[in-house]
Amino acid sequence: MPTAPIVTSRFADYVQRDGRSHGMNLRWSFPPYPVGFIPKEILRGYVDGNDPVSGVPLMDEVIFALTAPLTKEEKHPKIVKRPLRPRLLEPDTEENLHRLFLENGWTDGLPIILPTEERVAEMLTGTDRDPHEYVGMMSVTTHEERLKYDVERVAVNAVMAGARPEHFPVILALGASGRPSLPSSTTSFASMMVVNGPIRNEIGMNSGLGALSPINYANSVIGRAWTLMSINLGDMRPGATFTASTGTTINYNNMCCAENEELSVWEPFHVRKGFKREESTVSLFRGWMVSGFNTGPYERMLQVMKNLSGPFGATFTFVIDPLVAKALKAEGYPDPGKLSEKLVNDLNYRFKRPETVSFIVVGGEMNPMWVTTDFSYFQSVVIDPWIPKAGIKKDARPLRMPVAAVCKDGSCGIDH
Amino acid sequence: MKKNGTKITVLDPVGQPSGIFGRRLNVDSPMHAIHDPTYQPRDTVEALSALKMAPRLDTLDGKTVYLVNTGFAGGKEFIEELDGWFKRNKPSVKTVVSHKKTSMFTDDPELWAEIKKNSDAVVFGVGG
Repeated sequence: MPTAPIVTSRFADYVQRDGRSHGMNLRWSFPPYPVGFIPKEILRGYVDGNDPVSGVPLMDEVIFALTAPLTKEEKHPKIVKRPLRPRLLEPDTEENLHRLFLENGWTDGLPIILPTEERVAEMLTGTDRDPHEYVGMMSVTTHEERLKYDVERVAVNAVMAGARPEHFPVILALGASGRPSLPSSTTSFASMMVVNGPIRNEIGMNSGLGALSPINYANSVIGRAWTLMSINLGDMRPGATFTASTGTTINYNNMCCAENEELSVWEPFHVRKGFKREESTVSLFRGWMVSGFNTGPYERMLQVMKNLSGPFGATFTFVIDPLVAKALKAEGYPDPGKLSEKLVNDLNYRFKRPETVSFIVVGGEMNPMWVTTDFSYFQSVVIDPWIPKAGIKKDARPLRMPVAAVCKDGSCGIDH
Repeated sequence: MKKNGTKITVLDPVGQPSGIFGRRLNVDSPMHAIHDPTYQPRDTVEALSALKMAPRLDTLDGKTVYLVNTGFAGGKEFIEELDGWFKRNKPSVKTVVSHKKTSMFTDDPELWAEIKKNSDAVVFGVGG
């Protein structure tokens, strides 16, 4: 069927590039951008006017697209294969290599640790897996070619993020998810990752005071590694494959934290998702909005949900201080699943999907507050298969930042 | 690590091409699957290479052209203006305004079948 596709001029580069990578240069026509939420008179002007990309009358292009005979190239479309990447880059000075990584867009703009062979080999001691074992494939886009990667290429990105071998199993689990932390959308997605299970404490992750703040080594480098993997293994190229209009600073670290299983009165999140308490998992979430200052009981939570339910429906992940979990339990919700059920029913009785409301217990019991997000829960990935049989590979003196010395007995004066 | 201008060797951080592409959602795919590698349907280089553009028409005169709103903001209004243009400038063309019943990311085989049965050409818009 002869077809004429029309896309706004803002996306001309994007769709033409996408067409080339798929081997088919469609006969596009591009009216000005945007076409949404503007008067019909202006739209009529767009239809009667020129394509701002080609300078040709738009409707001449549409007629041409449907009636001009196919060219030889159009009759025989061909997908041009992308060249394989090398294992090693050309040797250069440290200064030049830092410049190369930065100017090629292989970093998040912050200084990196250069992935020398020695450093990558050391990172690989963090797992028993073969360096060339396939881990997964990823793309920040929906339609472009996925990039695939092995254990070693994940290790390269882990080194760049500043991680140590003890962090590597979590980073490999992130790679195995095949999920980028910054999926391309003009709407500027944010992601969150939450670790459960014994590995949290073994590698010194922070689930307590300031767990979402930059005061913990493991939280910082693991969250950053997910971003670097999304850039390099997910083919993130600004303007080409990454189209977030404003972007979000959450993309730097992806709210990487652990759940405070010790202070939570509820079952750990991963147990609620069907995993064993002794299993270690990393759970992945994605959305747009994070609102930090919320207090109060059930009714206040429901009110916030009502205020924030937007055109994309009602999906919420509440990141709550352990004190809030205790208060909610005292309010009659010993099981957060029941709480989710009541919230969605009270929000909209036709919208009975309690799985769209999640609770993560994080924080240091300094204030009974909760963080509201519109994040959706996507999946939990088991970390254990990536841990060496001999156990997590720790440094002789593992690197640890100062730990908040508050509320050591876990009570903080609250009656359990 | 050697410094002071000494050259060192580092590993490439970028992933390898896989020959696997993402694809529009199936009718029964969950909506969020467009950004979910677990659920999003995939295409291969081989499958994509088999696709060809259809031969073009000699003329649109006397032909039926479907004008399909794909569902992005402003698409409905733009397609209506497109319809108006044909009526004003190409009255010999029969146009049928249609709207995808599924989301802009999702396949719509019923509509494709309807178009194949009733139409000679199709205009899709407006992406973005």
